[in-house]
Amino acid sequence: MQLRRELSFIDLTARMGLRADAAVFYLGYLWWVLEPLVFVGIFYFVFGILLESPRADFLAFLIVGKLPFQWFSGSLSGSATAIIQGQQLIAQSPVPKALLVLSRVQQTSYKQLAVFGLLFTYLFATGVPVATSWLWLPIVLFAQYLLITASSLGAAILVCVARDFTKLIQLFIIAMMFSSGVFWDPRALSPELQHYIFLFNPIAMILDCYRQLLLYQQAIDIAHLALIISAAAAANAGLLYWIRRHETWLALRVLS
Amino acid sequence: MNQAPTDANSIGAVAAYSDPVLCVDNVSLAYKSPVGLWSKQETLVFKNLNFQLTRGQKLAVLGRNGAGKSTLLRVLAGIFAPTSGGIIKCEDARIALLALGAGYNPFLTGRDNVILAGLLTGQTAEQVRPRLEDIKQFSELGDAFERPVRTYSSGMRSRLAFSGALFMDVDILLIDEVLAVGDGHFRNKAKHALTQKFQGDQTVVLVTHAMGDARKLCDSAIWLEDGAMRQSGAIDTVADAYEASL
Repeated sequence: MQLRRELSFIDLTARMGLRADAAVFYLGYLWWVLEPLVFVGIFYFVFGILLESPRADFLAFLIVGKLPFQWFSGSLSGSATAIIQGQQLIAQSPVPKALLVLSRVQQTSYKQLAVFGLLFTYLFATGVPVATSWLWLPIVLFAQYLLITASSLGAAILVCVARDFTKLIQLFIIAMMFSSGVFWDPRALSPELQHYIFLFNPIAMILDCYRQLLLYQQAIDIAHLALIISAAAAANAGLLYWIRRHETWLALRVLS
Repeated sequence: MNQAPTDANSIGAVAAYSDPVLCVDNVSLAYKSPVGLWSKQETLVFKNLNFQLTRGQKLAVLGRNGAGKSTLLRVLAGIFAPTSGGIIKCEDARIALLALGAGYNPFLTGRDNVILAGLLTGQTAEQVRPRLEDIKQFSELGDAFERPVRTYSSGMRSRLAFSGALFMDVDILLIDEVLAVGDGHFRNKAKHALTQKFQGDQTVVLVTHAMGDARKLCDSAIWLEDGAMRQSGAIDTVADAYEASL
């Protein structure tokens, strides 16, 4: 019952947040797809046209990397400040702080549905064949969702410890964008380097999985993915437990 | 209730009600705040508070500014856990805190904020929705009820907060200095509605500096001073002693 109530809270507040977000802008909900399109356009102009990427399928490669990456970057950027921005609510009720973070992740995830819609529209429009390899997609999505929630919970705690972490988290997101193979291919590196990148940067591994499944109809490293899921699930459990144990401490950090 | 209060100061005895809904059992609260980069300073808010609330009791919390009255309400609401001691409440008791300037997401509409406030008191959206029109009407916000709260004046915000809390179905209502809400017309309406609420069987804890309101609305009081409970008992006894000390 408690879990159902908490899930309902996350869902309802995420949808309220989306409505509020859309009401701020003249173009409202259109920004859900405009923003990723503009990002892809800029990246394509710089790396595809100006720097003349040697890949024939660079646009597809970029879209299948950048759009899923945006789920990670948008969630982390928004939820890092979810607890401190929930000051008004925290001052009124013992709202579990983790719910504030997960609600922000959910808000970005709902937006991401439109972004994935855009991605699949592009794939269908350009004649990319639907393959049985796509059946692995839910596992990749699940792994990414767990990575996003764990990173967001951790980031939100750090920002409560010191507001300075908001700056570091923005820098971290930029570092992740450059190191995850959003606009370059980790598989073009030496096997040894490739191994280390996929081992230490799970987002690079996730983006590669999307590409292997959607663009090249190739098998993915399920064992590696299972490792990412297990580690992310353990991190989520640990962070949720820590937050439950430190609700008052977090409230004092936010309100005092 | 799964534990009895342990202190003889319990003021439940002075109230005309006997069904306990919440016990404050030897509660102390202190917190550390950073001073500079490395050192921390500990602030003691209150220590060894003991009292109990019974169903239908109307308790005034009296004390000077900085006595810890608002913080006590936050402890009762579960926002802060005591450093030592415990708050024991009926398992299903729903508590709402009504405080000006608290509880609103400025980017959400008045309607969504009221639903959110209901969720935070443990209700479902389905339980809150039937009351939304009454809340909208009482708040006199009209079409602004559907607009983001960031577009509201401070008076409109307080009318929304007051109306939302008034119609919320909770067992214990904690009110922090909100009797001077809105303009003269709304203030009278709010006081009238609150007086009716105080006549019902809801348990209310009121923090106020308006001694007339405290005497009129409450049946019992506690007086906090220097982090301790200076006195507790019937409203007139405690209020007389407190006013004499000013």
